Amino acid sequence: VGKTAERSVDVLLFGPAARAAGASSVSVLVPEPCAASEVLARLPQQHPAIAFALPGSRLAVNHAFAEPDTVVRQGDELALIAMVSGG
Amino acid sequence: MKAIARIVDGPVTAHAETDAWRASGVHEGEGTFGARARFEGIVRHGEPDGSSGAIRMLEALDYEAYEPMATRALESLVRSMVERHGLHACVLLHSRGRVRVGQVSLVVLACAAHRAPALAAVGECIELLKRDVPIWKHAVWAADSGEQQFR
Repeated sequence: VGKTAERSVDVLLFGPAARAAGASSVSVLVPEPCAASEVLARLPQQHPAIAFALPGSRLAVNHAFAEPDTVVRQGDELALIAMVSGG
Repeated sequence: MKAIARIVDGPVTAHAETDAWRASGVHEGEGTFGARARFEGIVRHGEPDGSSGAIRMLEALDYEAYEPMATRALESLVRSMVERHGLHACVLLHSRGRVRVGQVSLVVLACAAHRAPALAAVGECIELLKRDVPIWKHAVWAADSGEQQFR
């Protein structure tokens, strides 16, 4: 049985999520290839400290909100956009 | 340029607002529109503490923006307001960095033929900003409150 290839991606954090993680980014182990929805699903599993910020959050890929099926590629800039509070 | 959105360092000043208003070009059409709605967001001195919900005294808010996504999102937002509400112009300025109590952190201007679209656009613009734009505020509590906390 072949193992699914995996790789690590960095996800930028801001606001309460960054505060809870104590870091401005976290690494997430994801399958290859990987969709944006998979990154969001794995974030709280691998980083329980930021699980509270995930409901209603979205992933930005290269500074644009990603659709759930957007494929995340090597070199993409990923950011968790959660609990925004502008205004 | 009917739709202008800018992120400014520190509080939004009258000078920055005038500059953006001029950049929108809308002043050239004066006489063709009958309504200009303006919203100003001001930092309050009391904010609920994130953990207890109790009101604590604030010294300032620190705004953090994920750039260039934040500016792009604001530009897209004001363009959509112009299109959806048929505005003559929409101008938005938002702060980045420290804004003290009493200072202005957000200005939205909507200019239209009549009051209804201008007022509707301002309200909708702020709701969408709070939902979609990657900006976060960080409470700087007054000295006697000690710690800092995101909200």
